[in-house]
Amino acid sequence: MKNITLRIGIVLVLLAVVFLASVVAGPRMINPFTADPISREILFSIRAPRSIVALLMGMALGASGAVLQGILRNPLADPYILGISSGASLSAALGILGGLSIFGSFTIPVFAFIGALFTGGIVGVMGWKRGGIWPERLLLAGVGLSFLFSSLLMLMMTISSDEGLRKAMLWIFGDLSMSDWSRIPYGLFFIAGGIALSAMRARALNALILGDEFAYSLGFSPHRERGMLFVSVGLLTAASVSLGGMIGFIGLLVPHMMRFFIGSDSRGLILSSALGGGILLCLADLISRTIMPPMELPAGIITAIIGSPYFLYLLRKKNVLGV
Amino acid sequence: MSSASDTGILELSGIRFSYSGGSAFVDNLGFRIGEGEFIGLLGANGSGKSTILKIAAGILTPSAGEVSLWNKPLHAYNNKDRAKLLCYLPQSLDMTIPFTVSELVGMGLYPYDIAPEMSVDDALDLVGLRDKAQSRISDLSGGERRRAFVAMTLIQGAGIFLLDEPLANLDIRYQIELVKLLRDLRTARKITVVMALHDINIALQFEKVILIKKGTIIGQGRPEDILTEENISEAFGVQVKIMRHPDGKAYISYAENFS
Repeated sequence: MKNITLRIGIVLVLLAVVFLASVVAGPRMINPFTADPISREILFSIRAPRSIVALLMGMALGASGAVLQGILRNPLADPYILGISSGASLSAALGILGGLSIFGSFTIPVFAFIGALFTGGIVGVMGWKRGGIWPERLLLAGVGLSFLFSSLLMLMMTISSDEGLRKAMLWIFGDLSMSDWSRIPYGLFFIAGGIALSAMRARALNALILGDEFAYSLGFSPHRERGMLFVSVGLLTAASVSLGGMIGFIGLLVPHMMRFFIGSDSRGLILSSALGGGILLCLADLISRTIMPPMELPAGIITAIIGSPYFLYLLRKKNVLGV
Repeated sequence: MSSASDTGILELSGIRFSYSGGSAFVDNLGFRIGEGEFIGLLGANGSGKSTILKIAAGILTPSAGEVSLWNKPLHAYNNKDRAKLLCYLPQSLDMTIPFTVSELVGMGLYPYDIAPEMSVDDALDLVGLRDKAQSRISDLSGGERRRAFVAMTLIQGAGIFLLDEPLANLDIRYQIELVKLLRDLRTARKITVVMALHDINIALQFEKVILIKKGTIIGQGRPEDILTEENISEAFGVQVKIMRHPDGKAYISYAENFS
């Protein structure tokens, strides 16, 4: 246990280093201590919020991957692959286009949350057969829905007549360049809720990984626990989508790395996957805006370039959850 | 004399159960388990052993009849209280689970807010897996994996063990070891064991067996009374001979079927 605390400490230090680097570095290095007023303004109004958004979004993605892989007992699960992110994005876009602001500044995440739960529900129902979840069915249902929702999203963008509205929705496709301070509070709110809920149910998540009958024998109600954990995935996906749109593969990749480094006990894994996700997305964003200045690549491209080969590797490998 | 076995700590009565859409798979089934009993549940493949164990554990809910645990309906317990009295070990133990042995065994403490007296190391000592504490479940042999799960159920501290074919896929040595381990634990920890099994020779060494066919009980009692040539023929549809070892122990022979 002491060892795990130490290792989480190492991850935290790494997180701090990457975060600071991503604030300081860019097309032009800025030393916060010697910066002139203009550079300071860049640092405070552009880079800092962007790095914080990347950090929080990565945390939400990493934690949601750890929870989703556990409740579905499927190492290939991640809100992006299962279409939950695109469902959440479509729902958020509908909210924006419909001019709905019933929940004030919470409108986008609330719509994203509803979309995430709705999509997750459909994927779950389609993946369910004869009293259990079938991994292949689940995956295919997720991929199918993901295509459908992304196409609908693009259709909406294309036929939308309002140029301003269209610009306002570009972030949905995974772009951190428009990050500002305004999104951070509600993102933080949903992430805190999602991580707290899943961390409170981490023991139940461990039991569910053993199987529903074990979970029952250990004193849990499998369906109720899975439901609550799924709500936490919904909260986390809503947070990530409303912060930076759809960015894939972090939720898939990070829990595997952390299982290797921290261990599989969900009590450590959820937290460490959140931290690891934050590190990875901060790093991907840093690379995306420094690799070929002055051009900026969307961070989602970097995560996909790292993530897709890993996904294919996982598909080839059996028993991945155990290795 | 009123012993615990007269009262019954786990009792099934008038149980009726059918899988969705099917006809009754188990009908009007009832039996009573006394404290400290060590019972073998036998029957052909598909006869309903697993179903009956799952009903007794509360995992499957019967459409009629009642399961009572310590004279109180099983469904009236909350999940955690039930888990402190009754545990169930399914037949298939997924070897892909990512935990280490000590992580797995520690999960037996989940029903408790305050940890009971037995520690993870104690439980691992009892099943002889102390040196494997940090190994991954996926790296264990079949016998070790069974013992790791038994250690988890031990630490759970429940008095009643419902085990679905715990001897499946184990070689003779591991089968004997596991049965002996459970018997020793019965004496040391006062547990009650109901296990589904296939090996009639092992069942003949039990004190009590329940023989079932298509969801109904053919007989229950001492193995020498129940595991007779006639009953086995009825339950399994094969001819066998019950032989006697010179030391008096019974064993089964079915070599004749092959000639």
